[in-house]
Amino acid sequence: MTDHATEQPAPAELVLEQISKTYGQNRAIGDISATIPAGKVSVIVGPSGAGKTTLLRIITGLEEATSGRVLFDGEVVNGVPEGLAMVFQDYSRSLFPWMRVEDNVAFPLRRRASKAERTRRVAEALQAVGLDGKGRLYPWQMSGGMQQRVAIARALACQPRLLVMDEPYASVDAQTRAELEDLLLSIQAQLDITVLVVTHDIDESVYLADRIIVLSKPPSTVTEVIDVGLARPRDQITTKEEAEFVHARAHVLRLLRGTATPDDASDVRVA
Amino acid sequence: MQLIHDPLPRRTQVILGIVGVVGFVAVLEMVIRSGLVSGAGLPLPSAVAEQVVDLLGDGEFWTQIGFTLRQWLLGLAIASVAGIILGGLMGAVPTIFAMFLLPVEILRPLPSIAVGPLLVLLLGAGMLPLSLTVALACMWPILFNSMYAARAVDPVAIQTARTLHVSRAGILMQIRLPAALPFMFTGIRVAASIGLIVAVSAELLFGSGQGIGGYILVASTNASNLDGVYAATLVAGVLGVLVTAVLASIDRLAFGWKEGLAQ
Ligand SMILES: Nc1ncnc2c1ncn2[C@@H]1O[C@H](COP(=O)(O)OP(=O)(O)OP(=O)(O)O)[C@@H](O)[C@H]1O
Ligand SMILES: [Mg+2]
Repeated sequence: MTDHATEQPAPAELVLEQISKTYGQNRAIGDISATIPAGKVSVIVGPSGAGKTTLLRIITGLEEATSGRVLFDGEVVNGVPEGLAMVFQDYSRSLFPWMRVEDNVAFPLRRRASKAERTRRVAEALQAVGLDGKGRLYPWQMSGGMQQRVAIARALACQPRLLVMDEPYASVDAQTRAELEDLLLSIQAQLDITVLVVTHDIDESVYLADRIIVLSKPPSTVTEVIDVGLARPRDQITTKEEAEFVHARAHVLRLLRGTATPDDASDVRVA
Repeated sequence: MQLIHDPLPRRTQVILGIVGVVGFVAVLEMVIRSGLVSGAGLPLPSAVAEQVVDLLGDGEFWTQIGFTLRQWLLGLAIASVAGIILGGLMGAVPTIFAMFLLPVEILRPLPSIAVGPLLVLLLGAGMLPLSLTVALACMWPILFNSMYAARAVDPVAIQTARTLHVSRAGILMQIRLPAALPFMFTGIRVAASIGLIVAVSAELLFGSGQGIGGYILVASTNASNLDGVYAATLVAGVLGVLVTAVLASIDRLAFGWKEGLAQ
């Protein structure tokens, strides 16, 4: 680890207080309260249309809640909080095609750092996602998985205290998805940041999470908060063989189908 | 896209192009010389070529080419500035779109060449009324391309910029503008060739004897110098081809990233 890592600020805690969101007649989010603990990986799962993307837009300050509030390290969110970075599902549309990879990654730093400092941080970020030496390419010259790595590198270059991702791996193949999951976990552990991920994939939610927040159908509420005690570092094969993984995954699936009984949760700690 | 034929190799394309031009010229030369069609004033390629060589050796003619080019460039520049600003704003701001749509739709079908003589009356002779005529013709493709370009900017790119703390002005300058530029440039490319035609026509119709059009006008009053008219016209045509080629390479160099959108 380089000494630069000491610059990394402390991870942020996020608190959602009775968030609701209504579009016209359409109540998308009913009432959501939850805590996203600092320095941990939290995962939101819920049926399609439950307002997961909407919730992330509220958290990132892109949109206002109809009622309720979001606290970022105790401060009410109102506009995009400093120290938050977002990775969008649509990496190909989120990267700027007229900029080379290195300029995309440097973009968040454009006013905040000297030229030398920028170059160094871009190199570090690209290295962290396994793309060293690829800075001169354009995003569209890369595969989908590589583009998503660039998007992650750009988020890391901001030195975020909270990294928010909306179905980040939904449009890459299974092999790439597994690699990117492990990449995320290793970065999170190394840099000690808070991570909040939305996913459709139940295996992914259990594999990544310290905490899973399960949402109901719209108008959505929190069905259950599950704390996952699986050891880290996790492993794509052995972790998924553990009894706790198998149980947690079945439990989340039942919750989403609406057939869970309290007994299902006996192996997982319910927060 | 499903291609019916594989594209020909580049060399073959160039060779075929040359064969086509040379063949056409040869046939024309033969048809006129053989007397198959007769009549004074037909362009005999060899005679026209001789005239072109004469013209290009003539410093005076180069001055006229220079005048036409400056006249055209000024018009194109005026149209670009006006078209990009107005079109870009119409694309980005709904109220501006609503305000300007009707005037634009009314002005657009006006043939700029018809407005030209009025401009000469108002502004007097010289380059400016000619350039404004060119600008009026060049304005529309630039304006409409800019309008659609500004609208086509990806909302995800804009949201991304917002999460990266880019201000509203910053989003306009750093996201909307670069994303729209290549499409605006397409408008300028289309306008450039239209503009050259209008530039020469304007000189011919209501200029004061300057430019390539002015030269053609003067030469055509002298019936014995019709080859000179053809030669000057040919030079104007070649100028158009050169302009198209130069703009196409600028497009490739500056906006090569556009290829990344073709998915
Ligand atoms: N800008 C908007 N205007 C009006 N309605 C919206 C808007 N954005 C989202 N909605 C509505 O809010 C509800 C939740 O949408 P959202 O995209 O947040 O769901 P989601 O949980 O992310 O779904 P998915 O899993 O399919 O991505 C939907 O009914 C949607 O139609
Ligand atoms: Mg969504």
